[in-house]
Amino acid sequence: MKKDFYRAITKRITSSILVLFLLVTFIFLLVRLAPGDPTQKYISPKLSPQLAEKVTKSFGLDQPVYSQYISFVKNIFTGDFGFSYNYRKPVFTVVKDYFLFTLIFSSISFIIQLLLGYSLAKYAYNKRGKFIDKLFSNLSIIAFSLPTFVVGLILVYIFSVKLNIFPTSGVNTIFRDNLSFIENIFDHALHLILPMITLSYAGTAVFYKYLKDNLDSVENSAFITSLRANGFTEKEIFKNHLLPNAIQPLISIAGIEFGVLLGGALLTEVIFSLPGMGRLTVNAIFNRDFPLVTACTFIAGFMMIISNLATDLIKIKMDKRFIKELIN
Amino acid sequence: MFIKIKIWHFALFILLLIIILRLSFLYELMNLLFVIIQSFFIKSENVFAQLSISVIDNIISLLLIITLPILIISSKKIRQLLSHKLNLANSVLMLLTACFLFAPLITRQHPDFQKDISVTKLLPPFSSVSYIEIKEDSKTIESNNSKLKSMIDDVIPKSYNENLVFIDSAVVGSSFKYYQSEVEYEIEKNKLVKTSGYPKIKSKLFLLGSDEFGRDVFTRIVYGSRISLIVGFGAVVVSFILGLTFAFAAVERGKVINLVLSRVTDLFLSFPTIFLVVLIIALFGSNIFSIIIVLGFSGWMSLFKIAKSEMLSIKNKEYYLSAKLVGLKNTKLLMREILPVIIIPVSVNLIFQIGNVILAESALSYLGLGTGTEYPSWGAMIEAGQQYITQSWWLIFIPGIVLIISLLSINEIGRNINQHFNPAAN
Repeated sequence: MKKDFYRAITKRITSSILVLFLLVTFIFLLVRLAPGDPTQKYISPKLSPQLAEKVTKSFGLDQPVYSQYISFVKNIFTGDFGFSYNYRKPVFTVVKDYFLFTLIFSSISFIIQLLLGYSLAKYAYNKRGKFIDKLFSNLSIIAFSLPTFVVGLILVYIFSVKLNIFPTSGVNTIFRDNLSFIENIFDHALHLILPMITLSYAGTAVFYKYLKDNLDSVENSAFITSLRANGFTEKEIFKNHLLPNAIQPLISIAGIEFGVLLGGALLTEVIFSLPGMGRLTVNAIFNRDFPLVTACTFIAGFMMIISNLATDLIKIKMDKRFIKELIN
Repeated sequence: MFIKIKIWHFALFILLLIIILRLSFLYELMNLLFVIIQSFFIKSENVFAQLSISVIDNIISLLLIITLPILIISSKKIRQLLSHKLNLANSVLMLLTACFLFAPLITRQHPDFQKDISVTKLLPPFSSVSYIEIKEDSKTIESNNSKLKSMIDDVIPKSYNENLVFIDSAVVGSSFKYYQSEVEYEIEKNKLVKTSGYPKIKSKLFLLGSDEFGRDVFTRIVYGSRISLIVGFGAVVVSFILGLTFAFAAVERGKVINLVLSRVTDLFLSFPTIFLVVLIIALFGSNIFSIIIVLGFSGWMSLFKIAKSEMLSIKNKEYYLSAKLVGLKNTKLLMREILPVIIIPVSVNLIFQIGNVILAESALSYLGLGTGTEYPSWGAMIEAGQQYITQSWWLIFIPGIVLIISLLSINEIGRNINQHFNPAAN
């Protein structure tokens, strides 16, 4: 059994590394296949042919494709994404600040989604079959298919333009030097409430729906009835038997969701002009800043792969059946 | 006696409504078609130069609106296909399809029509604006070709019309004075189109308001449905073809290809789709075809998985083995033996996919990476309206609500079909 456990873990990690390599290859292919010569930007017709050749050489474009590929892979895994055209800094230092914001912002949103989804599902489970249960299940379906950017703009219109409660964009007020620490935190919170709602409602709906459906299907199984007949209290049944069985499929969903969030919530960040990875990517595209675009895409994919791996490891730890599934 | 309303009743109703409302326009279009055919026989090479996309568009919708009711009434098969009970989701889809097919008939305006921005910009819904018409310089019609040209100019709506002047108010004295945002202009009475001796002042209704360039929002919404539906269906067809061929290859062509394809699927699944799409569009440029292909490419994984599991179960069935032993080619095997079995479990996924693609397209347009400014698109309309959020709510609310309603009804239809095929699931 122990052997199987380690075998499953190694197998899962190798497959993640393989997917990571595929991702890098894919990005490399895309960047190479893209129309337009990257050196064109730096070579003007006035340049002497020798100098032009030198510029081309400095990009490494005269080398064969496979050695370009090897140096590309090497650079990416050492964290060297090249120089950003727009910021005139190494890409790594540009991305760092934005990534920190995205990490904090999306972690908070993720926790909100999980807690809210869980407590709503628990509430609806306790009131199952009643009006509120049906209302929630319909609302969750609707919320899941609402487009984020429309919801975000409608929220901005209602709360910022009409009611003037929350600011429309940014993460803080401009003159914040004379604010005390607590006021500063309050200021940030005020700015981030609308983005948080926009980012979290769809995920909450997904978590709610999955957990509620699982709870309902476990509820109908025979062992719960048997436990009830044996006189266990509802609380004990829910905590010890229902929830552990129902939460299993939720973990993989949560992993995917967290990976997507870490890649940056493109639309939310654009609507509220927050300094996160998503908006960085979009701006980099409009500035034709390809090293930055490549780095952002790679980081988004990398985060996704890492969080998928983490969820699978948690699942291996929790569920013995999953080990068998992995090995076969 | 109570008659249950079916989908085809509603379709017929929409078609007849359009025909009745646009009867005179349809008559003009038929005349135009007649002249085109006539001049085609007389002088063929010049006719093609006159036929722009909007002319062809108008004529196609004319032909469709004549043939479709006849088809629905005469063909029993179509009626059977559309014999489900009408509900809200179905009727929204029907209306969308009508907008898609008959956009030039539903609105008699070019989606980019703009004139006198100072008067017409940022009008709220249900506002109407007066306008006057200036007489055209009468030209003598010489040859058949110039007749065709003038007819096309008359019938087909254009993006600019210099003979039409929007006004705030007017004073009729010895000459005709009109005001555009408190600036006075003067014009001779004789130059205007008159009715019974007086200058004729008509009014135009902006049903859903106008945007920052004075363009009619309703017209743009109707034309915008075309982009959404074209991209939606196109991308789904692309991902359907990809998923099916890959699944077929994975099942039929040995272990290595199966392994590679499964890994590639993992890669695509473990990648936030929107980043992939954004990267590809940034590198390869965005037009309608690249968006269709990219969105198709980003959605084939789920179809691949479903199709593969279905094919694995078909693989050892006797009818399939015998068809294979008879020596059918791969394409025929796929089309005749697999597709009819597979289409039902896949169709539910396809419909949800259409909803996803429409959402993705509007999100891309909202980010400014969409199909460009050439055609109106709901996402791009919302993006443009965002700047005017403080003064004109309708610029984001109307396209937003239209988008939400379409997405909700497409998802609802998907759920209904799912329930129809597997009643145990719910």
